[in-house]
Amino acid sequence: MRAAVGLMLSHGAGGMEPAMSRPDYEQSALHHSCLLVLLRGVGPSRARVLQRAFDKVRRVNHIRVNDSSGHPRSIWIRFVHDHPVEHNDWGDFQTHRRLLGLITIGKFDSQTELNELCRQHESLKVRYGSTLYESRAIFFGPDEPPLETIGEVLGPPTAVGRRLQDEFTTPSNFKAQAFFYREQDSCADLEARIGDFASALFWVLESRRLERSREKADKVSLLLAPFEKRDFVGLDMESRNNRKRCVGRVMKNLADLSLQAGLVDDALSLYHNANETLRSVGDSLWVGATEEGLCAASAMLLYPQMRETETLHRNSSLQEAGTSPLKNIPDKWRASDATKKVSASDATASNVDSCQPQQRVTSNSSSCSSVSSLVTTATNSSASDTPTTSSSSTSTISVTPIPGHQRNGDLPGNILKAEEITNYYRKAIINYSKYRHAATIETEAALKASRICIEQNRPLDVAMFLQNILYINLSMSEAERVKRFEVITDLYQQIGYQRKAAFFQRLAALKHVQQGSQAPDWNQSYRLMLGSFTGYRLCLDPLEVIENAAGWPALQIDLVQTLITAARRLGHSALATRHMTFLLQTQWDNMSPTEQSEMAVQLQNLSAQCEGSPVPLVLDNGTVIPPANLTDLPYCLDLQVKDLPAHLRPQRIKVAKADSGPFLFTPIHFNSVDRRDQKKDKNKIAFQWVQNDLSEVTVRLRNPLPFELAVTDMRLLTNGVVFESLPQTLVLQPHVPTYVALHGTPIETGQLDLQGYSTHTLGVKSNCRLKHMRGRSFPPNYVVDVIPALPRISVKTSLPQTATFSNMNSADIVVTSASLTLYNGESSSCTITITNESATLPLEHIEFSINSNVEQELQQKIFRIDEEAIKANLPVPPQGTIEIILDVYAEADFVCPQPPASLHSGAAPGDYGAASLTHYSSVSTSGHASLPSRVGSPHQRRNEPKNSSFRSTISGGPPSLAALSLQPGGGGGVGPSSLGSQYNQHIEAQVRFKYSGGEALTAGYCRQCAVSFNLELLPSAQITSWDVLPAEIASQFYLVLDISNLTAQEMSLNYTDTKNILIEAKESCRVPIPVDRCSLEKVVAARAAEVAENLERELCFRTQLLSFNDALSKLCSIHIAERVKINWLLTGTDIQGIASLRGIVLSQSMVDLTAVSPLEWAISFQDTLVQPHNEIVCTVGQRSLLSIQLANQSLQPLRNLVLSIKFYQDYLNGMENYNLETRVAISGPNRIAIPLLEKNEQKKHTCSVIFFTPGRFKASIECISNPQKQSEQSASLLTRSCPAETETVGQSVMFSSSYDEQQAHVWKLIPPIEVTVVEQ
Amino acid sequence: MAFCIAVIGKDNAPLYLTTSDMEQELDLQYHVNAALDVVEEKCLIGKGAPESKELYLGLLYSTENHKIYGFVTNTRVKFIVVIDSSNVALRENEVRAIFRNLHLLYTDAVCNPFYIPGESLTSKKFDRAVQKLMSGTA
Repeated sequence: MRAAVGLMLSHGAGGMEPAMSRPDYEQSALHHSCLLVLLRGVGPSRARVLQRAFDKVRRVNHIRVNDSSGHPRSIWIRFVHDHPVEHNDWGDFQTHRRLLGLITIGKFDSQTELNELCRQHESLKVRYGSTLYESRAIFFGPDEPPLETIGEVLGPPTAVGRRLQDEFTTPSNFKAQAFFYREQDSCADLEARIGDFASALFWVLESRRLERSREKADKVSLLLAPFEKRDFVGLDMESRNNRKRCVGRVMKNLADLSLQAGLVDDALSLYHNANETLRSVGDSLWVGATEEGLCAASAMLLYPQMRETETLHRNSSLQEAGTSPLKNIPDKWRASDATKKVSASDATASNVDSCQPQQRVTSNSSSCSSVSSLVTTATNSSASDTPTTSSSSTSTISVTPIPGHQRNGDLPGNILKAEEITNYYRKAIINYSKYRHAATIETEAALKASRICIEQNRPLDVAMFLQNILYINLSMSEAERVKRFEVITDLYQQIGYQRKAAFFQRLAALKHVQQGSQAPDWNQSYRLMLGSFTGYRLCLDPLEVIENAAGWPALQIDLVQTLITAARRLGHSALATRHMTFLLQTQWDNMSPTEQSEMAVQLQNLSAQCEGSPVPLVLDNGTVIPPANLTDLPYCLDLQVKDLPAHLRPQRIKVAKADSGPFLFTPIHFNSVDRRDQKKDKNKIAFQWVQNDLSEVTVRLRNPLPFELAVTDMRLLTNGVVFESLPQTLVLQPHVPTYVALHGTPIETGQLDLQGYSTHTLGVKSNCRLKHMRGRSFPPNYVVDVIPALPRISVKTSLPQTATFSNMNSADIVVTSASLTLYNGESSSCTITITNESATLPLEHIEFSINSNVEQELQQKIFRIDEEAIKANLPVPPQGTIEIILDVYAEADFVCPQPPASLHSGAAPGDYGAASLTHYSSVSTSGHASLPSRVGSPHQRRNEPKNSSFRSTISGGPPSLAALSLQPGGGGGVGPSSLGSQYNQHIEAQVRFKYSGGEALTAGYCRQCAVSFNLELLPSAQITSWDVLPAEIASQFYLVLDISNLTAQEMSLNYTDTKNILIEAKESCRVPIPVDRCSLEKVVAARAAEVAENLERELCFRTQLLSFNDALSKLCSIHIAERVKINWLLTGTDIQGIASLRGIVLSQSMVDLTAVSPLEWAISFQDTLVQPHNEIVCTVGQRSLLSIQLANQSLQPLRNLVLSIKFYQDYLNGMENYNLETRVAISGPNRIAIPLLEKNEQKKHTCSVIFFTPGRFKASIECISNPQKQSEQSASLLTRSCPAETETVGQSVMFSSSYDEQQAHVWKLIPPIEVTVVEQ
Repeated sequence: MAFCIAVIGKDNAPLYLTTSDMEQELDLQYHVNAALDVVEEKCLIGKGAPESKELYLGLLYSTENHKIYGFVTNTRVKFIVVIDSSNVALRENEVRAIFRNLHLLYTDAVCNPFYIPGESLTSKKFDRAVQKLMSGTA
């Protein structure tokens, strides 16, 4: 509406002469009944100011007047802004073409301006003078000076008017009635005045009508259409035919007037009559006119709502343009009748239906009521023809029903039926078409007919009429032709023929710029072209176009290309670029490869002028061109969100507890909730990103164009937390998939929404969102959690780096490495320097752990970190450092592992003791005679095979010895070889740091990195064999070790506090080490523990019972390992270390020596207590009393003991002579059986000894405890011994005795007694 | 004798279009596209009484140069034939004959098991036959 006024004003000022016979494309059938009034703005255009006044005037388009006989008349007024004077000439033909009234609206500030306004009004009056009945001028003066009170303004309008009229006077030649208003006046009475004006027009018209109706039939003159004037020159007007023609024409004229004057019924019958009359004389043109008149009159009664649709229609078209055109393509126009158009345009009239007129009244009420009020006020002053007092308010509108109502009840009988109207129009058009000069009339009739058909919902007829318009040969300017196309477009759109509409719209667009046109109007062309998008199933939003994928690609491409041309010619290169982008994006699949590359090059050229960017463009007319993005150029094959590098990856400090359910995995899903969760999480990334840490997304791109494609400024597109994307520039080779890494840094914590990426290619910036990438199974976005910033550290070690990284688990978190070579037993340390690299965050939490390829127990011995020291140094400030000392000890097994049993399988039954002894003897033959040797004690050896075989039955064979070995690495046979001391050992270890700080620490996150250690252990010393010998004092024993130096250097060995020995490289030597015996308490404790354990085992399984020997042997082994530390030093270097005896394996006899004896000896000779190393002297032949007292110090009773006393002579060369039958005699038995020695019980044995020859004698006094079976045998053998125990006792012993009783023990008196026998 | 023959799918997507004057192809496409409104309208009208449905839709519209005829199959595939307006000798019966033949050709083409309904017709055999039909030598 506003635009129309603006247009009107611009036209009005010019006052240009319109072209001849310009069709009025807006006309509808109902306009036949309207009084034509020219509403024109004059003076300098001030549309905004006067807009309100225009609206007010326009609103008064209908009044109701009571005629002289008191019948109500409904009068309609049509306001036009322009009217060609020639059209008045057709006024005789169709009276509604005559301009009856004139209203000018103007604004002035000064007297001269007012004069000008008056002049323009007068000149318009003159121009249309021939037909004009009345005119009005509305003047808006300047605002009142501020002195004026507001009350005055609100006062009676006449007062204000007078005031203005006082200030400014109209020129004397100005005769028209003028209304003066202040600029800001509310013009409350304007509508009333226009109503007045309208009724004035009516009365003049009514008088004309009456005049015409009273004319005598034989006196009427011939009415002529303008072009007919020449045709009738010289014809006999008095002929019967012509008379009839005259009468018919006058009748038709009267019908027109009646129609205008609101007498529709009269008009109908008059038209019918005229039609018959004129048809009889063959006056085709006028027959057509009567037919058209009939249609108009009928339509007026049948379709009164058309008046409303007409006024509202302008808005509706605007609204339709605003909504998305593609969505409502299947036009529901048919479904809901013509009234739909009303409902679409006006909410208040939404339910208006042709059958529900009362609602229409409400929609009309605003204007009607104002009209009625003005009429009532006006009546007092105006008409004097109101006969009755009661109806003095002659015209009321709102109360009485609109004439349309009556159609249901009493429509005139001669009215045309709905379907007849079309036929009549067709006939009229055929009649018109006989006259070349009636082309305008014909065109208008066709338009009116199609409008009626629209109302009747007969689209095919509409199409027919519209199609017909094209055939009418009307000489018209190109602009007119375009206008015609646009009107046709509009009508086609109304019936939902979008394609037809688009076809004509495009034609109109092409007409605007067709070749040869003097002033091609690219702007209009562009606008129309854009308008025709809908018809070709296109829309401005590329997403929607791709979504719908409808329409004819060839046409769409052509249309868009034309549009691009138009935009380019307009000089709007941004638009051209946008449309080209649109074309590439939407029609890519519909183009051949050559076309694709051509278009791409074109786009490049266009964007060189104006770069494309993904922002909506707004045209001058308010149309918004949505952004077009080249989402598939380059084509994204896949997109992967990358986790941070392993050593920077955030972890939970405390590992969340796994679900405590009994099942680790269940295939059963109880409800759909689970599945929905999975679905939801599809775009959820499992890992986290860290605030302020550079993150990465990898995209695989393919360039579908046959030339190199440069993509610049490629960034990630994100939502959610602030994210700083780093631009990436790349050149893509044709058709080669390329990986591109896009980086960025999240600045905040929270959820980061990765939507895609933006590119800048072919001069166009595009936002390529995943959800818009079709044909690939991308989720619409990826969601990554960003956790608070974590500190970063760098780690250095004081050791050299290794050449190769380890192949241990999680090697990816290793940040640095260190290598170290140590001899077994050597210690070293490594300083790890940790620098907090973050600029702001303190390092508040460090946790470390060591992983290696050796067992945990051993690892703890090798690596040690002082955790407390680290804790004390926390937190580390930003850029601060912390040093961690890692102690490394080259732990190894120095004791030579078991020689393989197979070596001895042939010779001995694999007993360890035998093995060690054979080994030992081989050593001893090499000439270490200085050491006391047990090889020469065959007495002890003699028992051994039996013992060993017995033992092996319990423990399940010789290999089980390996099982009880204490070597930490010993898992079966692998252990010894994995960490033996004679080979180089490689240990790989990782020191892992978990560190955190700042907010992330409170959130429970940390990072992990590791230092990889490569530790090489070289063999140093090794103990190849060992034995235990009794020492000089009872509280000690000698541990004799064969130690070999496996290094290539001379080694200095410090084996006791004071003793050193040098060993050449690859040599070995034997050292004795005095060691305190293992105390009895420990033995007792070990025994108790072992008993308990065995009991338990017995109860449970009765298998694989441990022998006490194992426990005791273990105990002794530990005892030795604790006490004996052998320090070695490689001479000439500062390399030193400690060799430990951990894992030494002792045989039974060794164990007995190692542990303190459970027996306490008290020997007295000649009634004097023998002290160790005391020399006892006696004489030959003299009886000497030897008294041996035994006490059981242990907690257990000892059974089946055999005390034996033997004298021998030690030749001190390794030979001992036991055959002393001729030299010494003992009274009483020399083997005394003691069946049971209770705890703390003492036994005393006394015998007499007589030496026959002088010399040095030694007495070996020992106590042998025999195992049960043997003791039984011995009991039977030793008849001289003390009474044997009963069987029952033996049985009970069998069960109650602990298992150690089943083994033979030998407890010797140490040192042996030495007796020197002298001659008397 | 015919100027242009077009086959249009049930969703109004073009399946096939040929013309004796390739230079005017685009222009003809515009015309054929514009004719679809009327075809749809006529299809709607015919919907009410399926048994009496006439496949031949008759003259859709005519322009200065062309007359455009329509035909719709039971599967809503539309045939459009454009005929030169100057060819006054052509009678409507002949147009019907063209449509009948075209329908047969189309049926044959669609019977190809490798043809996916809704895709554009690329069969050479069909094309040759239609060209013949168009030139009136069929």
